[in-house]
Amino acid sequence: MTMWIVVIAAGVATFSIRFLFIGLFGRFAIPPTLERALRYIAPAVLAALAVPAVLAPGGMLNPWSALLPAAIVGGVAAWTTKSIGAAIVIGLPALWLLQWLA
Amino acid sequence: MDRTEREATWTDGVRAVSPILLGVVPFGLIFGVTAANADVPILATWASSFIVFAGASQIALVEVMDGGGAAFIAVLTAIIINARHLMYSADMGRYTANEPLTSKLGAAYLLTDQAYLVTTHRFPDPSNATGSVRFYVAAGLTLWATWQMTTTTGILLGAAIPASWSLEFAIPLTFIALLVLAVKDKPGLVAAVIGGSVAVAAVGLPYHLGLLVGTASGIAAGMTAEGWLE
Repeated sequence: MTMWIVVIAAGVATFSIRFLFIGLFGRFAIPPTLERALRYIAPAVLAALAVPAVLAPGGMLNPWSALLPAAIVGGVAAWTTKSIGAAIVIGLPALWLLQWLA
Repeated sequence: MDRTEREATWTDGVRAVSPILLGVVPFGLIFGVTAANADVPILATWASSFIVFAGASQIALVEVMDGGGAAFIAVLTAIIINARHLMYSADMGRYTANEPLTSKLGAAYLLTDQAYLVTTHRFPDPSNATGSVRFYVAAGLTLWATWQMTTTTGILLGAAIPASWSLEFAIPLTFIALLVLAVKDKPGLVAAVIGGSVAVAAVGLPYHLGLLVGTASGIAAGMTAEGWLE
């Protein structure tokens, strides 16, 4: 029963977060400072998600694992092909290879 | 040809998000397997895929409750992890401003990292974004369906996926690829470098707060760099 309450509370909270500005916009003009800030969401949040996952997997700092070189291979693959799939199709086997060599 | 000249179709949205599914499929399976092996009621955990529909926070709910944590802490952790959607919501609101309430409610329910990022990447300018909402909903529904199928499959499979496959690495790889595509200028690069560095430095903070602190620092650094470089 507790898990149901937790899931429903987290669901309601998450939906409220997602709806807040979508629901408000169209009712007032967006301040220019907010508009400038919005341009940096994607690079900031993606780096904040990806970098710790590579350098500190599981919350423990460990920058010298096979994850870093594999991540660089995946990043270069995405950069050269402009494709997200390429990062996974090349980066994941790169990790397997590095783990097998280690 | 300028890609914004042709109006985006449903198919464009599905097509834009399909390479990302390579990262979502293992994520969904891993969530399912984690849930199946944790000491949590499985039906409510399974239902979180459509009630919460936010992978990282769903995993956190399982982790906290499995560790015997308080319900309050579980919900708080989910809220902190999903707080970044506040920013996505502020940005998406510019695209959905003229939509009816029902479609705003649907757009909010379908908001995810991936749907938001492919849409704003395809339509950088909300004032020149005909068809962007249709594109976004198509991408969002594709992600939604994939999430429901893979999390359910993961729960049913249980421990059948060996940990040595390191499939979970597909998730950071997706974020890295999106990051490479999202950095378009020097201030954007500054936002990424600072956001990533601060998030790593703050990795020890409780409730996954490092993600928020890193993101906020990155945005502030990007705006500051923009001021200096102009």
